[in-house]
Amino acid sequence: MTIEHLRDEELDLALAGETLPAEAAQHLASCVACRRRRDAFLAAVEAAGAEPAEATRRRVREGALAAWGGSSRRHWLRWAAAAAVVVLALLPLLRRAPAPKLNPDAVLVQVDAILAQDPLAAVAPEDVVNTVAPIPATGGEGS
Amino acid sequence: MASVARRETSLGHDDERELVELARRGDRDAAGALLERHELPVFRICRRLLPRGEDVEGAVQETLLRALRSLPGFSGDGSFGAWLAAIAVNLCRDRLRRRRLVPFLALETPDEDATDPLDLVSSSEPAPDRVAMAREAVVALRREVARLPRRQQEVFALRFFAGLDLEAIAGALSVDVGTVKTHLHRAVHRVRAAVEEAKP
Repeated sequence: MTIEHLRDEELDLALAGETLPAEAAQHLASCVACRRRRDAFLAAVEAAGAEPAEATRRRVREGALAAWGGSSRRHWLRWAAAAAVVVLALLPLLRRAPAPKLNPDAVLVQVDAILAQDPLAAVAPEDVVNTVAPIPATGGEGS
Repeated sequence: MASVARRETSLGHDDERELVELARRGDRDAAGALLERHELPVFRICRRLLPRGEDVEGAVQETLLRALRSLPGFSGDGSFGAWLAAIAVNLCRDRLRRRRLVPFLALETPDEDATDPLDLVSSSEPAPDRVAMAREAVVALRREVARLPRRQQEVFALRFFAGLDLEAIAGALSVDVGTVKTHLHRAVHRVRAAVEEAKP
């Protein structure tokens, strides 16, 4: 065994899992003091990693699996089945309340009335119409 | 499933590949067995990379779920564990980015129901001064890891808390091995110095 201990850089290399030069590796294998430095660091690392309880692990895992199951085809089948049930439940209500039928003649009468009042209403919004052809003010300060 | 339970008695690489295949096809038991084998490093990574107060269990669960949903994209070239670790690191990054938090480590045990390693130290070491020194070393280690730059922190966590080798870390972080070595060397240098300082 050489008397010279590992330099910090060599110890760091060993801790990082890299290959040490042969002489340094040989020293580390035989030197109690250097091994103690290495082991103290590894022990601190080991102690710093608190392990989760088995129950926690199981709960987290089961949660992920349940959510995953929910994203598979079975999940969509469940949603499709639920949607079908809702549609079936609402079907009688929809049948009972038919949409109001429009009378085309009445609608045309309404349209004619609007156009008679304002011919541009059919082609442009009100603000545009007001800009292009402003409605003259009736009564008020100017007259 | 009985078949999965039988397989778990002697799981090797082939068994793992088989579990991955079964899980891909939607076998819940196979997926459960796969997660059970690899979830612990995910806990460690999330605990070390996320700040105190962050929902570690939620992060782990999300990591596992992301992995299950991404199984069809897992090539199977590398190890499932390294692939899962990469997902965990990316998820931690996402969370930190989203919350714009500066990562720091919990100085105390973050999980209420987890075994405190410091308790293990005290129970196995009868001499009070040695117990105190060990505690100091652990606290110093956690504190120093928390102060590392983000990439050094990730590399350190993957090496020492997830137990990945240099190539697996490089794969997980999508960088070359030389980059991993550089970051790891710097991180180890700082953390080791802090640990040794804490032990007079």
